[in-house]
Amino acid sequence: MINRNLVKALRYRYVLLAVGLILLAGGLVLLPKQEKHKGITSAELLSNAISPERYMSTDEIAHKIVNQDPSILLIDVRDSLNYQKYSLPNALNIPLPKLLDDNSMTFLNQDQYEVVFFSNDNFDADKAWIISNRLGFKNIHVLKGGLNSWFKTIINPTMPEENMPANAFEQYRFRKAASMYFGVVYPESVIQQSTEQKKVPKKVITVKKKKKSTPEGGC
Amino acid sequence: MGPLIPNDLIPFEWNLVIAIIIGIAFGYILESSGFSSSRKLAGVFYGYDFAVLKVFFTAALVSVIGIFYMDYLGYVDFSMLYVHPFYLWGALIGGAIMGVGFVAGGFCPGTSLCAVAIGKIDAMIYVIGIMIGVFIFSEFYSFFEPIYDGYFYGNITLTESLNISPYWFILFFTIFGIIAFALSDMVRKKVKKVFY
Amino acid sequence: MKIQNKHTYWNPYFGGFLLGLLILFTFYITGRGLGASGAMKSSVVSIVDTVSPEHAKNNAYYSKFIEEDKSSLNNWLVLETLGILIGAFVSGGLAGRISLKVQHSPKITSKRRLIFALIGGVLFGLGAQIARGCTSGAALSGMAVLSTGGFVTMLAIFGTGYLVAYFFRKNWI
Repeated sequence: MINRNLVKALRYRYVLLAVGLILLAGGLVLLPKQEKHKGITSAELLSNAISPERYMSTDEIAHKIVNQDPSILLIDVRDSLNYQKYSLPNALNIPLPKLLDDNSMTFLNQDQYEVVFFSNDNFDADKAWIISNRLGFKNIHVLKGGLNSWFKTIINPTMPEENMPANAFEQYRFRKAASMYFGVVYPESVIQQSTEQKKVPKKVITVKKKKKSTPEGGC
Repeated sequence: MGPLIPNDLIPFEWNLVIAIIIGIAFGYILESSGFSSSRKLAGVFYGYDFAVLKVFFTAALVSVIGIFYMDYLGYVDFSMLYVHPFYLWGALIGGAIMGVGFVAGGFCPGTSLCAVAIGKIDAMIYVIGIMIGVFIFSEFYSFFEPIYDGYFYGNITLTESLNISPYWFILFFTIFGIIAFALSDMVRKKVKKVFY
Repeated sequence: MKIQNKHTYWNPYFGGFLLGLLILFTFYITGRGLGASGAMKSSVVSIVDTVSPEHAKNNAYYSKFIEEDKSSLNNWLVLETLGILIGAFVSGGLAGRISLKVQHSPKITSKRRLIFALIGGVLFGLGAQIARGCTSGAALSGMAVLSTGGFVTMLAIFGTGYLVAYFFRKNWI
């Protein structure tokens, strides 16, 4: 008897399979659509946000600019008016509202350069940082303290007090040398140097499109 | 999240080990399904054996449904999968030539390899033929180049070219496949049995 | 007395189901589908490269696949093809299907079968290059991700197959 029932059921096995397959396919149609967000998860974003690598100090940047480090890409996120008035040497101008333009993407979505955002203070640069991080871009940093800090520390460094530790003097010496590189003239150096401003040659930045390791074809 | 190798979740060195494992599974399945027999394969064109159609469509349905479920559940990123590029005339003319070759030779490259493995001499000749075909193509590449490189529409999916939701398409495709299975069984009953 | 029928194969739906799972697995791991004719292309390229490197370098098509200091045979598809041969051998061996022979319809001679196999191979090889893939690489793997190119190739292969099947019927039935 069991055998006969089994045979009976087996007669419909293809029908059952077909129905199962259609149900599976139909399930895809009926599933609630979910919003897919690109980029990294909130947890990753948080861990990037509290990572100390997020900031680059003005000294680091000055050092890299003086040594003409080819790996950094400075991006000024202020508007173009301010950019024209003053900016860091070789900096690119991507105003915050234009951050997501296709043009900007070429510079942000790549892995050849260490991108450093800066604005007058931290705030706009931080916003740009968060957005870029959220999109999953790599090697994004913020200039700590922005241009204000740049002026305070590099362009116009304060002389350390007599009783401060030795490395403060070393830092001061470096900052002073750096500021001279960036065109600040000190009275004591006027004698040897003519007053002509040292123009840093504009370097041409070419960014190769990021090559994703997309799989190649089959046959 | 998959795909694992493009996302660097598996070291690249494993790629080649995985290639062999996948190949073994592929060969085993094809051979066990009877794809090492040219007469069984050709049956699909004459109605005496629809194994090709059944295996082919079942595989396509299972994989497409599976991929979209995995994409939905976040196990695989659909945008990172390799989509075969669409060169309109390349696909049509190349496909047409392959169709003639299929009926004439009774194999396609994957199945001919299976047949070679179990000692079919005709399959070995067929594989040599394929190599000659590739050689001819390469030697006259400049002649074929306009078709090969022209009419390129990008690595598009039917979602874009038909402007249809992939889920609905899969549903229609499934229903179509099942109707094809049912029809093939009906045809096979009408056609004179061929023993091979 | 029951002789094991050498033509008992898996239920095609079962085979198809497993093949579908394999394609799914392949896409999950490697991000691309299966392939078969790619290895033959690599073999041709490396043969030509060995026989006449000068010629291979000057040919616009071969030169695409020749990399410096790297044999063009050392790639994914070639290993996969090796796997296909092993897998099919194991399967055929377990089912007792291994034998050196020419399979053909009783109505034709084996010479005729071999000639047609050669013609078919040449055509398939040529077509697979023009369409950038064969039934497994373009059609099957393409269909798994709903690629338009894959679907068009599949329709072209089987459409033409049915159109010309009449002229080749003597070979098969």
